[in-house]
Amino acid sequence: MSELSATHFLLLSAALFIIGMVGVLTRRNVLVIFMCIELMLNAVNVSLIGFAWELHQLTGQVFALFVIAIAAAEAVVGLGIVMALTRRADTVDIDELRQLRE
Amino acid sequence: MALSVLVFWLLALVSILGALGVVVARNPIHSAIGLVLSFLNVAAIYLVARAEFLAVVQVIVYAGAVIVLVVFVTMLVHPDDLPEFHGRRPLRVATGLILGIALLAEVTAAILARGLRGAPGPWTEETVAAVGGNTSALGQVLYSEFMLPIQLTAVLLLAATIGAIVLARPEAVSERLAVARRLLTISLAHPRGLDQPEPPLALPAGRDERVKPAGGGRPIVLARSADEFTERPAWGEWRPR
Repeated sequence: MSELSATHFLLLSAALFIIGMVGVLTRRNVLVIFMCIELMLNAVNVSLIGFAWELHQLTGQVFALFVIAIAAAEAVVGLGIVMALTRRADTVDIDELRQLRE
Repeated sequence: MALSVLVFWLLALVSILGALGVVVARNPIHSAIGLVLSFLNVAAIYLVARAEFLAVVQVIVYAGAVIVLVVFVTMLVHPDDLPEFHGRRPLRVATGLILGIALLAEVTAAILARGLRGAPGPWTEETVAAVGGNTSALGQVLYSEFMLPIQLTAVLLLAATIGAIVLARPEAVSERLAVARRLLTISLAHPRGLDQPEPPLALPAGRDERVKPAGGGRPIVLARSADEFTERPAWGEWRPR
């Protein structure tokens, strides 16, 4: 561990991903859950770039670029859904948003 | 311990603190600030891993566009309905924490026990520098091997844009079309004078600019819209309110 390797990147990636996962599991605000999903996507990018750096490949960086593009698309659509939700139900609490279930 | 490892741990520590701030903060704006902190430190970590183009993309797309979008929507959402103020769910928090710690232990064990390594590829620092840096090398790979995926990404972004417009539009399509048609209809006159017992609006007397005698003595009334002097809408359209 005294020399920088992909293990460092993987540990950081795991930590960020699991923090995001705990946020998705525990929080009730839709916006915060959305930010935690962004955090998880970003954590995946860290591990992809760590592998690309260790293996002298650029494919991992290309994948990370695609992940960023898809995260941008997801951000746009997700925030559009949040806007529509607040306009219809006037709340961002996921415990009160159960029209689809009942 | 090498200097790069020290820099890495420093950046990783700050980014993890930012991520914790996202989860812990009660105000969504504070969460967004923590998210910016985490994203910027992760961009610096990309620089450590020699992914300069992705570091810039990370700053522009994540720390710029996505965060601005999140803050905008947070401002648009009603502020006095923050769910975390109405009581937390301790069972849910405990479940999430236990699951998170268990998964973190598993993943850490898996990472530390990682034995299988792939063969190193051709893009060492020298070859990347030979084609003109990280951005050129990435562009060469992206537009040769990944030509179809990047075109599909363009289509995906277009579809996401259209979907967001559809989702965030204020009203239904029929209402907007009715409003647009009413605004675009230029109605100069409603010659309903002779068959009506009295004019629907008391016309101002003596103002010849607005009431003019036309053929047959029928009054021509200059109306602002098609519906102003008629009880029913002009085209049988549905009108809100």
